[in-house]
Amino acid sequence: MSIMDQNGGSVIAMVGKDCVAIASDLRLGNEALAVSSNFQKIFPITDRIYLGLPGLATDVTTLKERFRFRVNMYTIKEEREIEPETFAHLVSSTLYEHRFGPYYVEPVMAGISKTPSGGFKPFIAATDLIGCLNYAKDFVVAGTASSKLYGVAEGLWEPDLEPEDLFETISQTIMNALDRDAYSGWGCIVHVLTKDKVITRTLKARMD
Amino acid sequence: MEHSFASPSGHPQPHQRHFNPYSENGGTILAIAGANFSVIAGDTRQSEGYSIQTRYAPKVFRLTDKAVLATNGFAADGNMFVKKVRQRLEWYRHAHSKDMPIRAIARLIQTMLYARRFFPYYVYNILGGIEEDGSGAVYSFDPVGSYEREACRAAGAAQSLVQPFLDNQIYFKNQTPAHGTSHPAHLPLDHVLELVIDSFTSATERHIEVGDGLEIYVVLAKGSTPQVLDRWQGVTEMTTTQDGERMFVIRRNLKRD
Amino acid sequence: MNTLVQRFSTTSAQSEINKAKALAADDQDFDDFAWGSEAGFGTIAKGVPTFSLPAVPDPRAFLRLHTDDHADPNCRIKIQHGTTTLAFRFKGGVIVAVDSRATAGSYIASGTVKKVIEINPYLLGTMAGGAADCQFWETYLGMHCRLHELRNRERISVSAASKYLSNLVYNYKGMGLSMGTMICGWDKTGPSVFYVDSDGTRLKGNLFSVGSGSTHAYGVLDQGYHWDLSDEDAQELGRRSIYAAGHRDAYSGNTCNLYHIKEDGWHFIGNYDISKMHYEGPGNVPGSENVGYGYDVRVVGRSSANPPPSAPTPVVAA
Repeated sequence: MSIMDQNGGSVIAMVGKDCVAIASDLRLGNEALAVSSNFQKIFPITDRIYLGLPGLATDVTTLKERFRFRVNMYTIKEEREIEPETFAHLVSSTLYEHRFGPYYVEPVMAGISKTPSGGFKPFIAATDLIGCLNYAKDFVVAGTASSKLYGVAEGLWEPDLEPEDLFETISQTIMNALDRDAYSGWGCIVHVLTKDKVITRTLKARMD
Repeated sequence: MEHSFASPSGHPQPHQRHFNPYSENGGTILAIAGANFSVIAGDTRQSEGYSIQTRYAPKVFRLTDKAVLATNGFAADGNMFVKKVRQRLEWYRHAHSKDMPIRAIARLIQTMLYARRFFPYYVYNILGGIEEDGSGAVYSFDPVGSYEREACRAAGAAQSLVQPFLDNQIYFKNQTPAHGTSHPAHLPLDHVLELVIDSFTSATERHIEVGDGLEIYVVLAKGSTPQVLDRWQGVTEMTTTQDGERMFVIRRNLKRD
Repeated sequence: MNTLVQRFSTTSAQSEINKAKALAADDQDFDDFAWGSEAGFGTIAKGVPTFSLPAVPDPRAFLRLHTDDHADPNCRIKIQHGTTTLAFRFKGGVIVAVDSRATAGSYIASGTVKKVIEINPYLLGTMAGGAADCQFWETYLGMHCRLHELRNRERISVSAASKYLSNLVYNYKGMGLSMGTMICGWDKTGPSVFYVDSDGTRLKGNLFSVGSGSTHAYGVLDQGYHWDLSDEDAQELGRRSIYAAGHRDAYSGNTCNLYHIKEDGWHFIGNYDISKMHYEGPGNVPGSENVGYGYDVRVVGRSSANPPPSAPTPVVAA
């Protein structure tokens, strides 16, 4: 069994019309044994950036703190909030520092970035465990249910979804993918980010 | 590749080579049962590793006018297995002057697969067709013969991409019906065909072993009208007997990259 | 016609073919059964079925190389594993309860597997390990139980049936069969349960659980088990035990199938969604308090860690 599958867990992010959504399961397991049904893998970085960290739980916790430290240092030095594009590169370089002894996580990011003209633009990205960035226009996935998430998302997603429709699409995608994955599940959380607010909902998912 | 190597003492030792008669040829198959029809589909790409061997190698085969077998896994085993099933069905036809009912074909396939329990056919089978009572049926098998009757099943390279989508769209999993309504138990043929095509275009988009062409077999029960198929292009009738069941195949292109 | 030609042919060509066939150990040993009327089980007339083996020095190693997913998760032929099954004997008969999940690696291949095999109206077998091994040999066992009835004018005892199966699989010991099954039924001696596995073990007992989720099931089962359980309470114990395993074990879940064997044979009690049991309980069934089995559901509002529902309540995706 791969070390990436030890604790289980999956994350997906999707782009909508002037909004983005990111969702994850809530399971933490030790191989087949489920241990916690409230293990958060998505963390707010700023008011407009959320980061999902599926993978080895110990590295999830470590990296969450490490990113908090680096983002705080950035904010103090630059005297402004970090932009999603910049944060993506911070994630990438942090992981590549450990090229030959990596953290076993595959980060997924969702954010709303400011354009030079003062507008807002949805942003999503994912990297592999050594920081190779993957920007996508539609959706990105990671974790033990990634292949299932790809399949459902490819079938359900469409461009320019309004926040409520994007919520429905990402919810249906993650729940149906989770129900076919043995190592993900045990509850589910969804965040929808728009330019002025974040909607967070916990879904009533299967508990087996 | 492993070669013979020297032992610590320096003397070359005889080296047992692994006998590997199996390969994996990719592709995906899918079957959905309706109230009075059955749809069995498969892509036509055959690959080995990152190479495409051919863009047209059928994985879905007509057995009788009311039974279709889709195979996936190792193409050589699959083709040989279909050949042997067809031979047994022909003997049955000669002995009993009728086609074997689909539930009997299912049990036959189980025993044929299990006869190779210690030297398995590397094939995942899905059998689709019409039951004697006129209902649509899908039977799915593992390589050594365990089987189950289901309403819908995907197998092969992209099964993990397609199956959860079908759970959502066929079984309405994780969907709550609007107040005072309920989900339909069976979907109409038109709708099922659209879902099959969507499933394969999605799988083609995200899986390198899926693509090139799509073959969809449609089996209609006695007395059902094939008019729904009029609005579909590339439909060919495959019916050979006057039993009443009718069989059609729809051929489509998928992306070739 | 092939059969007749082959059988009575004395030409040298035909005998050459026969010799070649014997050498190649062709699985198609065409005989009367080939005509299809006995669906391949026609081999019963000759004793046990025949299997073709790969032409290698060690067929076991060959099979292990290509099918054993514990040794190599990337091996090509994935045989489905992972299960929770249980059966126990009590004054009112036998309760048999199983989950319905089949996994291949992390992928849940099916959530609707029938893991109780109805051998005949008085005998049930459970399925753990290789699905095909259990399905095939228990179906085969069913045929022999029927032959026993025809020969002896009485039903086979559970003990004899289970021993028949045990002896059968013992013939293949070390060849890679994988099954852990409980043969349950009611005979002259009353209710009985036998555990039979592919190693050749055969045990008589009151209570067994088999599969990756068995430890979770035993936890609940041992706590609630008693010989004098009422029918309703016994059924509830079976359901509750499978729920526990389905909840915690990644390889078990989806639904629970419950059977009750009484003097007049087995009865199918019901199919229960494990997630529904977590939130709402098994529904309005005798023996159940009809509240969710889930810990969070039972203690809602009763602990500081789990306050009464306030602001962010769970939302059902419409």
